[in-house]
Amino acid sequence: MIMFNFAFNSFSEAILMESQNGQSHGIYVWSVLLIVFLCIFMTFFFYKNKIKKITKKFK
Amino acid sequence: MIKKFIHQFASPKTYMFQVNRAYPYIFYFSVIIYSLSVFWGLFLTPEDFVQGNSYRIIYLHVPASFISQSLYLAMAIASAVYLIWKVKLSVYLVRSIAPIGAITTFIALISGSIWGIPTWGTWWVWDARIVSTLILFIMYLGLISLHDSFNNFEKADKFLSILVIVGSVNIPIIKMSVEWWSTLHQPASITLSEKPAIDLVMLYPLFGSIIGFAGIVTCLVILSSKFQIFRREKNKSWVNDYV
Repeated sequence: MIMFNFAFNSFSEAILMESQNGQSHGIYVWSVLLIVFLCIFMTFFFYKNKIKKITKKFK
Repeated sequence: MIKKFIHQFASPKTYMFQVNRAYPYIFYFSVIIYSLSVFWGLFLTPEDFVQGNSYRIIYLHVPASFISQSLYLAMAIASAVYLIWKVKLSVYLVRSIAPIGAITTFIALISGSIWGIPTWGTWWVWDARIVSTLILFIMYLGLISLHDSFNNFEKADKFLSILVIVGSVNIPIIKMSVEWWSTLHQPASITLSEKPAIDLVMLYPLFGSIIGFAGIVTCLVILSSKFQIFRREKNKSWVNDYV
């Protein structure tokens, strides 16, 4: 069983993620990745900002 | 004795000092694990025979879906602790988890919808699993609105805890929906009682992404709870000392 083996031969192949049925699935995978990272990043930013604002009031 | 133990170790002050110490370790560990696992899943696993490369969304969708349900269970346990032992910290945690739960459920719904386009040919169906997850998302938003609609915090905490416990009936429905009804959503690939239906090459990065995502969400809950504690305990002297 090979655990680590690059599934794509080039950068463009990895971006397009063309499947054996000829469909390119890259757009779906990358858009989900972008949404997940944006949501996580924005939530961190939102709460860091809120904590900063409320602690300023105490000082 | 249990009451004394809980009250001693679950005071907001002790909690704040403890989580502040643990936060950087959890944060860096989970970011590294999540990034490596997602990279592994997206680039180093083979293409799926049936779904093609779209199956790689599993490394983003499954952790979000699993954590969104786990967070609700955590809220239900914390609500019970509040109602039984009147531990304030537990209800602060319930209120802190709710928005993070809403975000993870949102990620689960959106990623599932996008995954549905190449796999099912549609982004939405009124399927039991999807609808029960949508109900979970609405419940999270409803709980936040309910708590914020009260001027009296004590009343708000009590109503929130009761509603969380009542709403927890939706969690087994989400879990079992693919077994009870004929749905478009596939049944669970990983169960405690059976051998996983997914190959180990694909399974290991999935476990990694679930652990990493759980850690990141824990960090978000810590931040959210810190804000709630500051908001609720602003008149206590220890808060000023802490800041």
